[in-house]
Amino acid sequence: MYFERLKTAEQEWRERHKEEIEKAEAMAPACEDGVPLKVLYTPPDVTADYYKDVGFPGEFPFTRGIDAAGYRNKLWTISHYAGFGSPRETNILFRRMIEHGGVPPYMALDLPTQLGLDPDHPMARGEVGMTGTSIASLRDWEIIFDGIRLEDIFVGTVINAPAAVILAMHVVLAEKQGADLGKVRGNLQNDILKEFTARGNFIFPVEPSLRLVTDTLEYCAQHLPAYWPLNVCGGHYPEAGANRVHEVAFAFADAFTYIEDALKRGVGIDGFGKGIFFLMKCNHTDLFEEVAKFRAMRKIWATRLRDRYGARDAETMKCRILGHSGGSLMTRERPELNIARTTLACLAGVLGGIQLIGLRTMDEVFGIPTEKAELIAIGTQHVVAHETGLPDVVDPVGGSCYIEALTTEFEARVQEEIERIERMGGMVKAIESGYVRKVIAQDAYRTQVDLETGRKVKVGVNKYRIEENEPPRRPYRYKPEEERRQIEAVRQLRRERDNAAVQKALKRLGATARQPAGSGSNLVPPIIEAVRAYATIGEICGTLREVFGEYAEPTTF
Amino acid sequence: MGAQQRKIRVLMGKPGLCGHDRGIALVVMALRDAGMEVIYSGRHNSPESLVEVAIQEDVDVLGVSILSGGHLGLCERIARLLRERDARDIVFLAGGFIPPEDIPKLKAMGVREVFRDGAKLEDIVRYVEKAARERAAA
Repeated sequence: MYFERLKTAEQEWRERHKEEIEKAEAMAPACEDGVPLKVLYTPPDVTADYYKDVGFPGEFPFTRGIDAAGYRNKLWTISHYAGFGSPRETNILFRRMIEHGGVPPYMALDLPTQLGLDPDHPMARGEVGMTGTSIASLRDWEIIFDGIRLEDIFVGTVINAPAAVILAMHVVLAEKQGADLGKVRGNLQNDILKEFTARGNFIFPVEPSLRLVTDTLEYCAQHLPAYWPLNVCGGHYPEAGANRVHEVAFAFADAFTYIEDALKRGVGIDGFGKGIFFLMKCNHTDLFEEVAKFRAMRKIWATRLRDRYGARDAETMKCRILGHSGGSLMTRERPELNIARTTLACLAGVLGGIQLIGLRTMDEVFGIPTEKAELIAIGTQHVVAHETGLPDVVDPVGGSCYIEALTTEFEARVQEEIERIERMGGMVKAIESGYVRKVIAQDAYRTQVDLETGRKVKVGVNKYRIEENEPPRRPYRYKPEEERRQIEAVRQLRRERDNAAVQKALKRLGATARQPAGSGSNLVPPIIEAVRAYATIGEICGTLREVFGEYAEPTTF
Repeated sequence: MGAQQRKIRVLMGKPGLCGHDRGIALVVMALRDAGMEVIYSGRHNSPESLVEVAIQEDVDVLGVSILSGGHLGLCERIARLLRERDARDIVFLAGGFIPPEDIPKLKAMGVREVFRDGAKLEDIVRYVEKAARERAAA
């Protein structure tokens, strides 16, 4: 009755302001993925059932947040991403970071490490220590954590294809330090599926790659209860060009693939589900849709985990979201405006109720961030956290007619895309057929054309340009002497270690890899033995390459 | 097949280990939309394999994209291989995250033109058309 009256009233309002409203709606501003927007939202636009679809924070379906009291009790984590050059330099950096208040290090690795190649491999030439730390063996891990007790810190590592090898290094070093494995905390990115379509650091074909992920999930569920072995990455999709609906749908389709594979092994969902995190983009563009995205994600995840996978523990159903603002949205032109962009990105994350926020520095587009820019990026978050009052109330935009309607609409679009992928036979098939890559490329192309034609405005780039000199760049420069040092170190290691033990361990690894995937042939234990014998990442991945082969990507868009 | 009828043939690929392929995918699509025959060899190519494919496929243009910072070393190797294989007439283009001060160095090596991040697709297409036409006329 009330809604009927409101609908009529809105109709009458439209009539009274017909010209104005029609003119505005003809301009059809839509979110990047085509969700049409009205100029005004009123209660009848909200189709969500408050009890069933929205609910209370800290409770199913968690649309309003995973914690009952939100940020008032616990602020989001202000994140940091670091790691460069040699293991020795990384050790110094990490010690300094820990001294300065225990910000958990999130480690960047160089490309050879991420692709399972030793520093002296021909393809590694010119890339050693470039995008992060170079790690060839357990010896490097020992250097990085020299003087740091693994039991005391959380170590996040951006590693995917050889994630099991890094996990093994962590386990062996923790054992050597006499740590209680039950207390060892850390995190692997370990989301191999997005590598095939968005990030590009893949080694093996899709099926054996998936096997390695499931092996680590199973191993951690059994031996490392406090370790989070998987960060599902949606954020790489928009960086590669995908729109927001695809970002979420692909991230979930990836996550469901891992879960279903692990469930087939008989690993209970409540055993490993809590260790799954989502690394998403947190952007200022279409800000309210970004907020709706985070709210819809929590509902979709909780519902699926409970109803499809039989989760019983509420902790398992909580969708934990780590958000980083997008590097591809930062501009070289008028770079100071990047601070405004990231401030708004931070707002989107806070209104979306996510657990961690990382902002780009204003000068990242010019290479290695300056210390001043780093401090601005962190300080921006401090301003949002402490000066705005934003953390005082949970889900402050919840209940807004616009936000609730947008959340419902976004959820429907994501579900539709997930169903499309499932009809194709799941994410593995969607990747192998080239579908996912094609969708991303087409989204990217549309965005590019919109920018080149000016349909989409980028301040300082295609509108409001100011001609000014580009600030000096600080590019990641190839350091030949460092590459030589790492090459020499790995060669020395090969001379000094017990090579018979290495060979034996690699042989056992190869034999296990040749068995069909399953609990009885989990690859983590033989990788641990190989790591313990100081086999290198190149030797371990090389052994697996011989068995599994390498992935050949579809190259049509 | 007459010289005039031949479509412009382009090989696009990513040398080295850098995985970022948003830019190169856009260029591949734009060149195809402009009616060219584009072979895309994907990621993780060695300079040797790129040059080999470029020669085997008889392309007019070889375009590479590098965002990891390894462009100087990789382009130097590709340019040297093109010289050694007597294929300097193939128009060699580079793109990606390239600091302005490196552009003269790349050109001195034999890279014909550099398209940094932020370059317009329209400009790239126009450049490729012109360079391929000049090559055919030479």
